[in-house]
Amino acid sequence: MSGLPADYFVYPRRGRGMDHDRYPFRILPRTAPVQWPGGARIALWVAVHVGHFPMDMPLKPIVAPGGMERPYPSFWDFTQRDYGNRIGIYRMMRAMAARGVAGTALISAQLAQEYPALMDDIAAAGWEPACAGLDMGHIHHGGVAEADERAWVTEATALLRGRFGAALRGWHSPAHSESHRTPDLVAEAGYAWTSGWANDDMPYAFATDAGTLTAMPLSQDLADQRMLHQQNMPTEAFTNAVLAAHAALDAEAEATGGGRILTLSVTPWLMGQPHRIRAFGQMLDAILARGSVWSASGSEITAAWKAQAG
Amino acid sequence: MLKTPGHYAYMPWRRRPRITWPNGARVAFWVAPNIEHYEYDPPPNARRMPWPRPVPDVSGYSWRDYGNRAGFWRMADVMARHGVRGSVSLNVAVCDHYPEIIERCCALDWELFSHGTYNTRYFYGMSEDQQREVIRENRETILRASGQAMDGWLTPAISNDETTQHILAEEGVLYTLDLLHDDQPTPITTRGGQRLVSIPYSLEVNDVPLLVMRNTPPERYAEICKAQFDTLYEEGAESATVMCLPLHPFLIGQPHRIAALEEVLRHVTGHDKVWLATGREIAKHYIDHHLAAHEAWIAEGTP
Repeated sequence: MSGLPADYFVYPRRGRGMDHDRYPFRILPRTAPVQWPGGARIALWVAVHVGHFPMDMPLKPIVAPGGMERPYPSFWDFTQRDYGNRIGIYRMMRAMAARGVAGTALISAQLAQEYPALMDDIAAAGWEPACAGLDMGHIHHGGVAEADERAWVTEATALLRGRFGAALRGWHSPAHSESHRTPDLVAEAGYAWTSGWANDDMPYAFATDAGTLTAMPLSQDLADQRMLHQQNMPTEAFTNAVLAAHAALDAEAEATGGGRILTLSVTPWLMGQPHRIRAFGQMLDAILARGSVWSASGSEITAAWKAQAG
Repeated sequence: MLKTPGHYAYMPWRRRPRITWPNGARVAFWVAPNIEHYEYDPPPNARRMPWPRPVPDVSGYSWRDYGNRAGFWRMADVMARHGVRGSVSLNVAVCDHYPEIIERCCALDWELFSHGTYNTRYFYGMSEDQQREVIRENRETILRASGQAMDGWLTPAISNDETTQHILAEEGVLYTLDLLHDDQPTPITTRGGQRLVSIPYSLEVNDVPLLVMRNTPPERYAEICKAQFDTLYEEGAESATVMCLPLHPFLIGQPHRIAALEEVLRHVTGHDKVWLATGREIAKHYIDHHLAAHEAWIAEGTP
């Protein structure tokens, strides 16, 4: 009975608050109420995953959710995802524009090189561009060497800044995956907000070595990629869940007098399919019909939040 | 290695001595919120890595962090609104990290029992002395934070080792949740003969397997929990049953799922022959009124 090594019973960060230094503990219902423009109860943040999935992407140590699922060379997986950047996103743009709903595109930077026309159309649609790393084959994680990771951030940022300039303010770590230093590198590269940490329903300040980022709420649980693709649920399971979330958040906003954020984590190769696009439109209709909705981009929401709470 | 846990006698679901609950209730319904902290950078364990991704597993960590920042508070409000107390399966380090959560639990008159120190520190491979030390420390922490006795136990991540139940009994724990073999409390056999009972927990109507592993949409989750209750309520007329509803605030406390919890609690509390109990209350009632009869029946060969 030798048991486990003694250090298994040492708890170096057992104490008040978090066991890291990125943010203090915060209790959502005790945060100061935030007012959205026009007194809206709900800020509607449509975060659209505009991803590039290279066919030769590494599958270790992390298979990015939605990554290649069949042996190389999987034309099946590649083209099914690439469909989103050719067809699906245009269908979603049309559905959103028809309803006056803004989007925020979380873009695999490699697409600025592959499909410059798509970048032009994202800009023309009035969507906010944000960087979701180089591509889905470059997942940031604890095993990536610092020099490599720094080079990835630099290259991805250069690609998108080359097209969008100062409008590029948001970063989303693909697959909600990061190394210990990712937030530092992201802040160093000049980003203002991030959405990798799915731990809240409202923004909060996220500390880095290069200044403070604003963390935006982007659920990985209530996401079409997870529910429709990984979990194999029917389309209405996702749209019903979004509407249930809206009802709950709207009621909280009403009760507390402070705005809430309804985030849609949606993916063109899934939600932009012909058999789903009507459900997407109907879901937007139902959200807008409840009223008191402010459709906004990541930067608009973080700016409004920072002006009051940040 | 053991072939079976060896902790309970076979007690077939027929002619078992009848169980009754206070006021003629058919079902003891208890809710067990798992209030947990998964560490940002935990040590490895030879039998199980704490995170599937390389540390930091931002995906897994932030998902669970949601439970303490947002989900718990929403869940607690819904439970309070329906007059349902919780019996908290507590990673006791939460008392140190987030005392506000413990204050809220105590204000709601909830029971606290131990779910280990952190959900990232498994019992796999611990020596008996090491297990004993953790159990004792957990008891002290719960007492210090709440004034409560630590009467119940669920090993973190149900990572019990072969001897854990024996040690729990030797340390004076009243009830264990590590076994899923029954819909009623049962005696647990221990090497020293110290008293320990099992009361029903659940991995069937537990939100982790249902929502994460079995891909259940919220409205279907509510249907499953209600069906579980309806059967146990019906059968409870014959001999009283237990239904446990285990919860994890990072899942059930999300905006898109909270209405499903509300629906389940509305259904359960809409029945009159329900005992809204805590784990400790169920264990004590069983020990005081039914344990001897069950043991006698087992001794007679479960005729």
